[in-house]
Amino acid sequence: MWGQIVALFREYMGTGLVIGWFLLSVVYLLLREKRTHLRILFVYTPILLLLLFFNPLFARIIYRAIGDEIYYRILWLIPVTPTIAYVAALLYGGLKGRKRIMFAAACVGLVALSGSFIYQNPFFHKAENRYHVPQSVVDICDAIELEGREVMAVFPKELVQYVRQYSATVCMPYGREQLVERWTYRHPLYWAMEEEVLDAGQVAALAKEAGCHYVVLPEKKQVDGSLLDYGYEEFGQIDGYVIYRDPTMNFSLVAE
Amino acid sequence: MSVVILAAWLTLVPLVIGGGLPACSGKGKKNIPFCWVAGQIILWALFEVVCVPCVLLSRRFTETVALYAALTFVLLIVSVWLGTRKLRKAKWSFHVIRGWDEGVGAWQRCLWAAFALLFLFQLVQAVRLAYADGDDAFYVAVATVAEKSDRMYQILPYTGSTTGLDARHGLAPFPIWIAFLARISGMRTVSVAQVAVPLTLIPMTYAVFYLIGRKLFPGRGERLPLFLVMTELLVLFGDYSFYTVENFMIARSRQGKSAMGSIVFPMMLYVSLSILEKVQERQKVGLAWWGLLASTVLAACLCSTLGTMLSCLFVGVVGLCAAFCYRRWKLLLPLAACCLPAGCLALLYLMLG
Repeated sequence: MWGQIVALFREYMGTGLVIGWFLLSVVYLLLREKRTHLRILFVYTPILLLLLFFNPLFARIIYRAIGDEIYYRILWLIPVTPTIAYVAALLYGGLKGRKRIMFAAACVGLVALSGSFIYQNPFFHKAENRYHVPQSVVDICDAIELEGREVMAVFPKELVQYVRQYSATVCMPYGREQLVERWTYRHPLYWAMEEEVLDAGQVAALAKEAGCHYVVLPEKKQVDGSLLDYGYEEFGQIDGYVIYRDPTMNFSLVAE
Repeated sequence: MSVVILAAWLTLVPLVIGGGLPACSGKGKKNIPFCWVAGQIILWALFEVVCVPCVLLSRRFTETVALYAALTFVLLIVSVWLGTRKLRKAKWSFHVIRGWDEGVGAWQRCLWAAFALLFLFQLVQAVRLAYADGDDAFYVAVATVAEKSDRMYQILPYTGSTTGLDARHGLAPFPIWIAFLARISGMRTVSVAQVAVPLTLIPMTYAVFYLIGRKLFPGRGERLPLFLVMTELLVLFGDYSFYTVENFMIARSRQGKSAMGSIVFPMMLYVSLSILEKVQERQKVGLAWWGLLASTVLAACLCSTLGTMLSCLFVGVVGLCAAFCYRRWKLLLPLAACCLPAGCLALLYLMLG
């Protein structure tokens, strides 16, 4: 248990420099802060919370109640940012003239060196529209949606997590749960869709079984055979994807 | 038009409701950032109180919207009445920059300008950039589904198939609040979640930091801009780990857990700071402050199921430290009362789990 907690804390700390500044700030306040209410909130409370976090007995109870994945969120109760900023502003206030400017510049430099610029995170990308989902998802959903009823469609995995954020009426045989490594169950259609060379016959049969009105495939996907040979018709080509429609499915506008 | 309605619900309504808390403002002054954040916290607490029973009773989303809107309207009237009753006595403080009247030095102006620039930069980035996060496939989809299907936590957000009531997630219905905003504004839910909510929650975080800064530096306004610039820098360079609250605040603003970490917990710190300051000065802690603390705890419950436990943990630790330091054990009673609703929800969570 102790090892798990320490590993989690290490992951939370990253390089450890910002947490280092925080701990130094707490020590500074412990030595210099006179106002009791500020000592309670910026010194005693963080220390107690850290002691609780590292307490294996406490961790065991919390793990049991909420699981181990989110135990680190206890650390969110510790006011890391306000504490560092407070001590920096305290020190800044004690300086005069040019020293103040130099100190402020040093603070900027230290924070920049200690942390990591958030917008450099590789998961950030330029939004393609006001929905912040890929434009292909918007266009495909708009094309296949039917007013007054739901439709079932199977998408390639790069689009799966966005479809139902944009449209509640486009249903899928599987969703984002297939993309999470630790969740081990995989839908057979997911495997079939993500094969390097897609077997048209297998996808057609599984999609039919799952009640799919549409199958969406990347234009460049290598396919062994064609869905057209299995009763599908090409519905359209949108933003680099080909949409196949199963005409045998129920497209009635009456809600089921 | 939908943008105007949404902006009114996210700014004007909380501002008026927060303005109805005269006892909190102190010294007869009403502070705009305080009124806005406090108002939103109260509205979130109200939403939790209204929505959780509706979810557990499998009521329609439309009914929840109607009930919440009606109660908000009543709250607005009460707040306007309370606000106007003391309007003559109260002064509205529009000066975010303390001591501006007395003249602010050139260097201080530079710091305030840096703060404003960094702030605007974050807002522009919130619109310009998208963040690919898998959890959105659950939380945003829950909001989209509720708004469209009129059912809450009864449809699997990932696929759209029907399921039994997901009561555990239903205890923290932050996505339903997003669906509510979408319904009353007429804007598409995904836009509300991905653009409008971050544009509101990021400023709200800095409003709380501003309030904390004012408490930390009473009468020493020259330190406040550096404090705020530092908070901005620590947020902007807070991606040193995937788990930091700063990462969640910027990258996943639309998720309840992000609001919990970046707004509700700092607000809890601010309210605790205000209460303990009064205890320190041997002043009476008004009912409004206890009410605001209880609302903050409930707001944490709205944001995340974990919020029930974490908010109680924070209040408990602060309460024990304060009771010990001030030798005033009676302090624990109102603090425990503030945690009571969260305790009940935690119990419910364990039972449902």
